[in-house]
Amino acid sequence: MSKIIKQLSIFVENKMGELSDITTLLASEHISIESINLSDASDFGILRLIVDDSQRAKEILEKNGFSSRFTDVFAVEIGDHVGSFNSVIKALAKQNINIEYTYTISNAEIGAFIFKVADIELENAIKTLEKAGIHLLCEI
Amino acid sequence: MWNKIEGAPRETIEETQLKRLKETLERVYELTSFYKEKFDELGIAPKDIKTLKDIAKLPFTKKQDLRNHYPFGLFCVPMSEVVRVHSSSGTTGKPTVVGYTQSDMDVWDEVMARVYTMAGATAEDVVHNAYGYGLFTGGLGFDSGAKKIGATTIPASSGFTDRQIMLMKDFNATILAATPSFALHMYETAKKSGSGYLKDFKLKSGVFGAEPTSDGLKEEVSRVWGIDYHEVYGLSEIIGPGVSSNCKHSKLLHVNEDHFYPEIVDYKTGKVLPDGERGELVITSLTKQALPIIRYRTGDITSLHRAPCACGRTLVRMESIVGRVDDMIIVNGVNVYPSQVEHVIANTEGVTLNYQIIADKKGHLDKIDILVEVSDEVLSDSVAEMEKIKKDIQHSLANNLYINANVKLVEPRTLERSMGKAVRVVDKRI
Repeated sequence: MSKIIKQLSIFVENKMGELSDITTLLASEHISIESINLSDASDFGILRLIVDDSQRAKEILEKNGFSSRFTDVFAVEIGDHVGSFNSVIKALAKQNINIEYTYTISNAEIGAFIFKVADIELENAIKTLEKAGIHLLCEI
Repeated sequence: MWNKIEGAPRETIEETQLKRLKETLERVYELTSFYKEKFDELGIAPKDIKTLKDIAKLPFTKKQDLRNHYPFGLFCVPMSEVVRVHSSSGTTGKPTVVGYTQSDMDVWDEVMARVYTMAGATAEDVVHNAYGYGLFTGGLGFDSGAKKIGATTIPASSGFTDRQIMLMKDFNATILAATPSFALHMYETAKKSGSGYLKDFKLKSGVFGAEPTSDGLKEEVSRVWGIDYHEVYGLSEIIGPGVSSNCKHSKLLHVNEDHFYPEIVDYKTGKVLPDGERGELVITSLTKQALPIIRYRTGDITSLHRAPCACGRTLVRMESIVGRVDDMIIVNGVNVYPSQVEHVIANTEGVTLNYQIIADKKGHLDKIDILVEVSDEVLSDSVAEMEKIKKDIQHSLANNLYINANVKLVEPRTLERSMGKAVRVVDKRI
């Protein structure tokens, strides 16, 4: 099963009520948000979502005037013990794979992190981690 | 070529123009107190106009003059001879109203037939007309011209995009008549049904106009639909669409100058400018019966070119409109046209993005903000990349237009597009 997860990246202006507009919109369409991360510059930000139906979420956002795109990421299970996060980072570093960003999955029952690397290194990153015996999630 | 006059020797065209100009002047002087008073004020009578160059002695007519005589005050025929009335939207105050006799309608059909012929259309073609039918001259203008050449017309009018796309496909339309922004909107809507869906259209060319359009936007429309882009210029005060359009050999638009006499003037001084120089387009109607118009200030900025065209037409050609006199803003002494800003954005990002220019004061200095809508095509997952887009646009504006603008990226729904005319400039200084 593919270990690639489709994350939705949405352009948001930095203004009052923007985030709640999006979450209200998705809630009203019964889209479940599995994970959320916001990265911001001075007057705008990129909202990164992992939802249960990303294709439909994208269509809903587009219809309501939001720009969005899919970004390929992967999710890594991280155990609750010292050094578990470090083992993932080390495995990637050894292969010179640069991590663009990472964030936790908010509602995972087990500890998990989302990782974004350059698209051309995605396959390599997944293989590297699997070889190192690290467990990647197929879906969230 | 639809009519051999389009390729006639210059002397023939100019003889026709002078004869028609004299007739027009006699009529307006006799039939309207408005023109008689204006001519008398300048000490000019129709008989003083002996050559085409003498036209520079005549007074200008402005949009406000038409408004002041709302609705029919400048008509030169009794209403029994008027067969059609059109009107412009009139965003400020009263709309401008124009009227047509049957012979005016025939001229309109004739010039629109030339437009379609230039776009390669014949009786074999199916024209999908997505210009709004109604008081706006677009819908009916593109309709009657298609009828004149014997093509099949689909009077789709505006709105109902999904349905329009289905009809365009099912009816095998070969020619699209639409505003460029609507043509793009149609593409974006069609794209949602998948790329296989887009393959089955039979379109080969399009006749586009009614709004200022940068080269970037034109190329995009041409590319996404895979069709030849033909631009059509016109305005209701003169006739509607059909004043000029371009053939496949060049981007310059052939002016139907046997009916509409063009001049370029310095918009501040009113002085006539030589060929090739940019200024305000001024048009005198040469055959209009219901509403002849003398030296009408179009407010559109362009230039005229007399070099011969490969298609064999000898009509003078005009550049695609580069801006509006009233849209042009001066920022810290630099002239800025919205179309230039659009061009810079398209060149920087590789796609045309919707934008709005906001001019304001900061202390004694002018400051300019440019809101640019982020489309899916330029959206990146990285904040740094998005910051780079913003900086790149700022740099190109500074390098190409010599303006220091603060570019602000906004969500797509922020600025209006394709529904009505987009507001390109907001000047808070006035």
